[in-house]
Amino acid sequence: MTMEPVERTELSILSEIGRISTSADDLHRKLQRIIEVVMRGIGKDGASVFLLDRSGKNVILEAAMGLNQEAVGKLTFPLGKGIAGWVAEQKVPLALADPYSDPRFQYVPETGIERFKSLVAAPIMDEDRCFGVIFVLSGQNWNATSSEVTILTTTANQISGVIRSTLLFQDIEDRLARLASIYEISMALTSTLDLNQLLSLIARNTTSSLRAQGCTIHLLDLPAGDGENRELRLTFIDDAVRDIDTVFGERMQTNTIRDKRPLLIADTSQDARVQDISNQHRVSILSVPLIFHDRVTGVITLYSTEQGQPFIDDDLQFLTTIASGAAVAVENAALFEREERMAGDARVRAQEFSILYDVGTAMSATLNLDRLLRIILTAATMGGTGLGFNRAILLLTNERTNILQGMMGVGPTSWDEASRAWTEVARKHKSLMEWIQTGELFESRDSEINEVARRIRMHMDPDEGVLARTVLEKRSFNVLDAASDPLVPKDLRDTLRVNSFATVPLVAKGRAIGAILVDNLFTRRPITDHDIRFLTMFAHQAALAIDNAVIHSNMETMNRDIRVIHEQLAQSEKMAALGTMMAEITHEIRNPLVSIGGFTRRLARKVTDPDAKKYIDIILSEVGRLEGIIHDNLAYIKNVGPQFSRTSLNNIVEEVLPVYEDELRQRGINIERDLSPEIGSLDMDPQQIKQAVVNLVANAMEAMENGGTLTVRTYPSADSRDAVMEIGDTGPGISPESMHNLFNPYYTTKVRGTGLGLPITHRIVKAHKGNIVFRNKETGGAVFTLRLPVPQEK
Amino acid sequence: MKKILVVDDEENICKLYREELEEMGYEVTTALDGGSAIAALEKARYDLVTLDMRMKGMDGIETLRKMKERDASLPVIISSAYEEYKNDFGSWASDAYIVKSADTAALRDTVKKILG
Ligand SMILES: Nc1ncnc2c1ncn2[C@@H]1O[C@H](COP(=O)(O)OP(=O)(O)O)[C@@H](O)[C@H]1O
Ligand SMILES: [Mg+2]
Repeated sequence: MTMEPVERTELSILSEIGRISTSADDLHRKLQRIIEVVMRGIGKDGASVFLLDRSGKNVILEAAMGLNQEAVGKLTFPLGKGIAGWVAEQKVPLALADPYSDPRFQYVPETGIERFKSLVAAPIMDEDRCFGVIFVLSGQNWNATSSEVTILTTTANQISGVIRSTLLFQDIEDRLARLASIYEISMALTSTLDLNQLLSLIARNTTSSLRAQGCTIHLLDLPAGDGENRELRLTFIDDAVRDIDTVFGERMQTNTIRDKRPLLIADTSQDARVQDISNQHRVSILSVPLIFHDRVTGVITLYSTEQGQPFIDDDLQFLTTIASGAAVAVENAALFEREERMAGDARVRAQEFSILYDVGTAMSATLNLDRLLRIILTAATMGGTGLGFNRAILLLTNERTNILQGMMGVGPTSWDEASRAWTEVARKHKSLMEWIQTGELFESRDSEINEVARRIRMHMDPDEGVLARTVLEKRSFNVLDAASDPLVPKDLRDTLRVNSFATVPLVAKGRAIGAILVDNLFTRRPITDHDIRFLTMFAHQAALAIDNAVIHSNMETMNRDIRVIHEQLAQSEKMAALGTMMAEITHEIRNPLVSIGGFTRRLARKVTDPDAKKYIDIILSEVGRLEGIIHDNLAYIKNVGPQFSRTSLNNIVEEVLPVYEDELRQRGINIERDLSPEIGSLDMDPQQIKQAVVNLVANAMEAMENGGTLTVRTYPSADSRDAVMEIGDTGPGISPESMHNLFNPYYTTKVRGTGLGLPITHRIVKAHKGNIVFRNKETGGAVFTLRLPVPQEK
Repeated sequence: MKKILVVDDEENICKLYREELEEMGYEVTTALDGGSAIAALEKARYDLVTLDMRMKGMDGIETLRKMKERDASLPVIISSAYEEYKNDFGSWASDAYIVKSADTAALRDTVKKILG
């Protein structure tokens, strides 16, 4: 039995196509070989293939036999236009004996189509999706039989398999490249906090990833809590697109901001939204809003001119993903900028202080208060270069408590020590500074006079006697006979064991900051008025030096506070912003990676071709690498394990509260603290626990809009196994809707909330093997209770 | 045949999970958002749900809460792109927590462990 000739043709064509499909050629070459086989098989002299382009809206000539090769890759028809466009749209085959008389035919002279008289076209179908159109052309008049049309249709089906797998590879490759660039851009976004640098970085990367001609970025006035202020704040414009931007920029931005949605214009000359201003321009534009916490903070606009390709939906998706990261990075940079300004103020203040510091350094050798007092008193008691009194005591006032307190006393304890010291001074001719540098003239700390000095403590009340009056009246007293002087209380006389002494006030900038008391216990030399005048001048110098030292130490504390606040602000905001961004990007990247990798694995099980297997392995290993990168970065940014050290929980509280003191006061919130010393030290990461406490205190503070009381309590649990800390407020309490969401990341009821405070706190506490719970008090307000295990000694 | 409901707002992931799980011999239905997931549970009985945590519209956690309110005994596997909340949500909220990966072994193992 012989086969029908047509069937034989069909079989040989199909088996040939099968061989070509599994060859190592690229798609273009495969198509070229396939149409040649088809053309010969049907016995005609021309053939061609059109495929749908990236946008799915046009067909483009991919391979041709008998036509001008220059047309390949160039000749396009929109869907529905020309024979190719019509077949692709209608998805039905078409045989035309005389195409030139058909109204659907569009003559394009550059193709060389006029060499042919008849044609048959069939759609390349994959289920109900059309990939393109295959043509067979004939130089002779040809009335194609239905079996000839069937051959072409069957062939077209076979081709669809080749195209599908190639497109799948291409698609995966494209997406992988895109993900890689999303990832790269995202990483780059975290590399700088300089706003201008950041914008040009975003512009450069998006422009090149989308093969656009240029980019503009407009930032709206950054939210300073002032609602809908939408002034333009900062603009970045690529020079390459400056001209086009003047035509379209404003319209695009206005629409994007208004709709809070990305806007894609494939062709400005065809789009109703910009046609009126389009003129001669045939440009493709993509505008995507930067959205941070539900508000539009800016717009990125990309332009593709006629030299480039029009944007498609995929590009819009891509840019939207980038924009979500960029919005956070921009916000972050803005925040940093604001903080730097704040730190700038602090620097000015520090500078003011440091001028004082320098003056202070010039005036005395040290700003260390303890050392300074010792120098002053040594000077007062030293013969030769000093003032030469036997003993001296220095007292300082505490303005807050209104108490005058003896700080230090210097002088020999006995006649023996006195004469030894003074002969040495006389013999060695050392200066005061030399004495100070080479050691102490007298036994220091636990000398008797130092003990005496530190026992003196009184209210600054005139009734307290001569010392209080020295300070209050800012004048000196020369007590000649303590026993009969009504201004000398008996206990002072008893502690000093001397009947004559003198006092001078320490006055700095008009304020009495303390007093110096001197006597001549051993030599019994009377203190003269001249002595007093000299001592007063010296006291004046000393007071300034002391004042400077005090300011300096305040400044150090303040600087430290500012630094702590600054660091904490920067740290928490940056971490939160970075975390949000990373989580966002992870989500965006991980999902498509799962599809890419997951389907590639499935593909691997179906493919036998060794070359294809090689490609699949490459894709899989790259997907694995991307997954690894995501994992590592997240671990670094989000989940740094605790670094344990023995630390007092109470100390942490005492460190955190002062940071919020000012703000709490301004908000009319008072602090009630009840810290039990019984809880002792715990194994913890002090930074992390501090972060946890900061988050809870901040939430409590933010909950009390109209003032109230912040309660911080620590105590050991009943079984002493845990240290418990309660942070309570008198705010509205946790609303029922919030209850189950509280530890959800990104859950926030605040306009500027991150919704990460509690999740982070929760994680930290968990990492410490502790727990955290909350409840609403009957009396109103919320209480967060945190438990951390007490180390169990073996 | 045991029935699984796959909930994920990414169509491709639904498709992937479906193909992988069908190959293991389960009957799979997919839902692209929380709302239609709940609707699917109203219509038919399922033996297991895999649930994305972060979706547009009704969030995964919200969906999980609704599911557990309907039927606390229905096993739910959270399948999430976030790995850092595994500890936070894994234990108290759901029966298992897997991090989405191109390698579906974790998904298959977890499903097998729960459904046998
Ligand atoms: N002390 C509190 N009183 C009332 N509500 C609170 C309190 N602490 C937290 N919340 C609620 O929990 C939400 C999440 O808190 P959090 O995770 O710290 O994020 P954020 O403070 O950034 O919003 C807050 O937005 C708020 O609604
Ligand atoms: Mg908070």
